[in-house]
Amino acid sequence: MRPEFKDKIMHVLFLVPTLIAAGMLVMMLAFMSEGIGQISWRFLSSSIFEGGIFEPIMGTFFLFLGTVLITMPIGIFAAIYLVEYAPRDSKFVRIVDQAINNLAGVPSIVIGLFGYTFFCKILGLGISLVAGWLTLTLMMLPIMIRGTEEALRMIPQSFREAAMALGATKWETVRDAVLPAAMPGILTSILLGVARVAGETAAIIFTASVLTMRGLPRTPLEPVTSLTFYLFVLLVAIPKTSYKVAFGVALVLFGIVFLFSAIATVIRMYYRRKWKW
Amino acid sequence: MWYGRKHVLKNINIKIPEKRVTAIIGPSGCGKTTFLKSLNRLIELVDGVRVEGEVLLDGVNIYDSQLTPTEVRKRVGMVFQKPNPLPKSIYENVAYGPKLHGIRDKEELDKIVKEALMAAGLWDEVKDRLHDSAFELSVGQQQRLCIARAIAVKPEVILMDEPCASLDPISTAKVEALIRELREEYTIVIVTHSLQQAMRISDYTAFFYYGELIEFGPTKKIFEEPEHELTYRYITGQFG
Repeated sequence: MRPEFKDKIMHVLFLVPTLIAAGMLVMMLAFMSEGIGQISWRFLSSSIFEGGIFEPIMGTFFLFLGTVLITMPIGIFAAIYLVEYAPRDSKFVRIVDQAINNLAGVPSIVIGLFGYTFFCKILGLGISLVAGWLTLTLMMLPIMIRGTEEALRMIPQSFREAAMALGATKWETVRDAVLPAAMPGILTSILLGVARVAGETAAIIFTASVLTMRGLPRTPLEPVTSLTFYLFVLLVAIPKTSYKVAFGVALVLFGIVFLFSAIATVIRMYYRRKWKW
Repeated sequence: MWYGRKHVLKNINIKIPEKRVTAIIGPSGCGKTTFLKSLNRLIELVDGVRVEGEVLLDGVNIYDSQLTPTEVRKRVGMVFQKPNPLPKSIYENVAYGPKLHGIRDKEELDKIVKEALMAAGLWDEVKDRLHDSAFELSVGQQQRLCIARAIAVKPEVILMDEPCASLDPISTAKVEALIRELREEYTIVIVTHSLQQAMRISDYTAFFYYGELIEFGPTKKIFEEPEHELTYRYITGQFG
């Protein structure tokens, strides 16, 4: 066989899977576009009782807003500790790292089960917004810590030496030399976490949402619905659901996640332009 | 000085003259940088490091438990091999040290920044863009910014770890000229791989070999009539 011919075969061999992957994405987008006709101001702003999705949208925001507020400080502080303060190669760090890895690998339905048993039952929070926050925190925390750790480790040692050599203390070094440089990476990990949380269903089925909705929660101790949960309900619990409505909900969810990654990209581009190294 | 179980620097006894340039030369891996970093306790950032002995600055051991590394590093500044500006503006880079040490007054900071940048020969090049990112400067300018940053803290000693290693010849010439000017006011210890550079800029030269100080004396003497066979072979390029 001529080498050129062989090369052509290899070319096709690599091209076909690419086309399959691209085709699947296009098909998904085509299905999602079914929902476009569904989307209108009325659909977004009216209550689910009037065929809208106002509560699920607000619920999704409530859920991830609270989760981010809880996760961000814990995740960032833990990552700073692990990278900057903990003695390298200590047994403790290795155990914690391993635990974080394992937590990241736990299927979300299992996390949901734990959240239900621990937060809802044992802590007595019931099925509520706050139980949802805590359960989702368990999902987001590993992403947050991992991402921040990576962002911090990317910072060259020379940055730390620069501040240290001027007489900065450990904390001043972290604050002035490391964190500003790591910020784009940290923001990215926050937004990745948000995307995961916004799209999460299994973890909130048992912990934050109930089938019979009574509008928006007035306190964090009341249950909440979300776009993912509403989609689940539409498909499972309501017979004869129009797929158009379901795809409309899906499209809104997709749009929200997309919005966050777009914001992340803009912030990162801004930082890149500002600090080049 | 030990890295884990490895004995890196052995019995080094050296008296570095004040307001002179002392060059440290020797083959790679002989402990030059380690020695330099032990002079401002930056070596303590390395895990598993153990320091024995003392480093006296004006008669006080800088490893004394009474002194914090911060106080030591305020008096002993450092310039690194690769320019390492902080992710801040040009102005903030220079003002950073003085701010750490408690200077808050805007006018005073402005004055310090201007003086330090002038001393580093950078003022005319950057005076119109003090608030641009330090990363927008050329590598040579960044290194002079790092020198300005070290000067701004008003240290007594400035350590330089191959400050010209990543610079082109023109920037190198500028930095060397700067070092010659700075010796009027500061005690400078410079690690260099370039014997020519050591000859051009230093008053004293110390030759290190595998963690030991082989010879130390006036640069002229080291290069013209070294006492030690190893020194002679190194400076004549027979190894290194």
